[in-house]
Amino acid sequence: MNIFYLNLKEYFLRYFNISLAFLIILSLSISGTVVVLASATSSFTQVINPGTLSVDIVNASYESVASPSVALSTATFSFSCQTSTGTFGTNTERIYITNPDAADSGWAVSLAAASPTSTWVGTGSTFDFNDPTNSGCSDSGSDSDSVGGQMTVNPASSTLAVGNCASCSTGNVSLGSQSAFSEVAPVVNSITIITGAASSDDIGDWRLTGVSISQKIPAEQKAASDYTLSLTLSIVAS
Amino acid sequence: MNTKNKIIIIFAALLMFVSRVNVHAIEYSGFGGRPANSDPNNPRTESIFIYTLSPEEKKEDGVRVINNSQVTKTFNVYATDSTPSTGGAFACKQFLEAQTGVGSWIKLAKSEVTLPAGQNEIVPFTISTPENVSVGEHNGCILIQEKKSEATASGVNISMRTGLRVVVTIPGNALRSIVIESFTLSKKDDGSILFYPKVKNEGNVSIDTDVSVVTRYFFGKEFLTQGGQYPVFRGEIGEWNFELKRPFWGGWYKSDLTVSYDNNYGAGVGQVSGKTLTRLESPTLWFFVTPTPAALAIEMIIILLLLALLGLWLFSVRRWRWIANHWVSHTVIKSENIQELAKTYNVSWKLLAKVNSIEPPYVVEAGKIIKVPPVS
Repeated sequence: MNIFYLNLKEYFLRYFNISLAFLIILSLSISGTVVVLASATSSFTQVINPGTLSVDIVNASYESVASPSVALSTATFSFSCQTSTGTFGTNTERIYITNPDAADSGWAVSLAAASPTSTWVGTGSTFDFNDPTNSGCSDSGSDSDSVGGQMTVNPASSTLAVGNCASCSTGNVSLGSQSAFSEVAPVVNSITIITGAASSDDIGDWRLTGVSISQKIPAEQKAASDYTLSLTLSIVAS
Repeated sequence: MNTKNKIIIIFAALLMFVSRVNVHAIEYSGFGGRPANSDPNNPRTESIFIYTLSPEEKKEDGVRVINNSQVTKTFNVYATDSTPSTGGAFACKQFLEAQTGVGSWIKLAKSEVTLPAGQNEIVPFTISTPENVSVGEHNGCILIQEKKSEATASGVNISMRTGLRVVVTIPGNALRSIVIESFTLSKKDDGSILFYPKVKNEGNVSIDTDVSVVTRYFFGKEFLTQGGQYPVFRGEIGEWNFELKRPFWGGWYKSDLTVSYDNNYGAGVGQVSGKTLTRLESPTLWFFVTPTPAALAIEMIIILLLLALLGLWLFSVRRWRWIANHWVSHTVIKSENIQELAKTYNVSWKLLAKVNSIEPPYVVEAGKIIKVPPVS
């Protein structure tokens, strides 16, 4: 009898304590009360920031490229109008789009110059990126500059792929059409590179390579090794 | 309390902490922004700003600027008008351009924000509509762009920015009308097909438009559906490229464009009326796709096999016809059997049995009349 009583007591104390501890913690957790346990255990905190829709130029390891640029093919001084070509989006400078549940109703990525009145600027000379006159070989005279030249961008030739996301797809993400910048009607200041429909992945990432760029260089354009043009790649939730 | 009990209680406590973490979206690196005060009745306001404002009305709000990168960054925050991008996509004007629309209505409390890694800050702003603003929808942007020193490398230097669309609707007679401009296709060098649906918004508000290109096999079975919902902006043409990868087997296909949108009272940006959608269809496009080399090889083998089978069948038909016309009757005598007869007439005994419908064990009874080849 005594042995039975002792066993019962031990059993009661052991399992009653565990159950009571669970009940206390559970009730405090539900009621929102902060529990401080008198023990040496550290408290753990975790902050997960909301993600943002973004476009970036990254390398093959998906690290942001500090100063992305596109080098067009080298041209030689010519008495005729000529074309220089290049590729926007390479294996080392990929166009990378992330939508971490930040734009469920679609988005668009577009390319534009820092200003419609921008020009290619080299040492002692400039030429245009948005003058369609004579197929980009002459000046229209409709803006402040007096130089010709036109840039054409062809996203339709590019390759679209899913980035790091294992469960994502390129469904309902479409490439833009080949277009040329134009300062005269119909004016084209912004060229669509890629768009995501509302039904594209709400959480997804995509990389784009091989957007063809060609630039008409007017005849007798001065030789210089430092012609530069600043373009802005924008992503906008729509 | 023994060790086992302690472990259980510590585990339970950990479980309690985990259960109280507010989980947001998965974090990716980068920077950008979100509306600071979204409307729970319109989920679209989690990613863009949507306002209905009368002329000369003022509204205060905020944009949350977020730096999810691993380093401290300084951002320029500014407002611009919207501008159509090619294909009718939404885009924002540049900082250096003159702002005359929504971009000029927004006054931000700060134009520059410096944020340590993983931090965010709300930048308040006021939006004020002018007196003589027209009825309908007006669009602009709030943009976040990293402040960088100007790149010096020759060539095209690229900078990135993230924008949030700002939609301001001035109450009045909202016109919602979409028409199909065209539906064409072109073939790429690699054999894939590019579809170009083009629609026009003839109204005074943007319309979320469902664009669907359904491609079917020659006999009507569905092959692929492409498209999605895209906003088509006031007075703009929306056009898209949908790429159909070269079908492995090639052949004839047909594609149809269907466009549907909400043309009912109550529809708006991020709002649906719940009523029947207006549906537009284009004429069907038929096209032929050449098979891939592997498919072509398989198809050639199948065609050759079919031709061989056809040849065999024709040969068989002609032989049976010749047998029917030329073979002669022979009365079997007592000493003859099928093998001797076959040897005599120089023909296979199996053919002899087949022509005369002689079943196993292939016994030919004396007196039976059978057909045999003519003796030349």
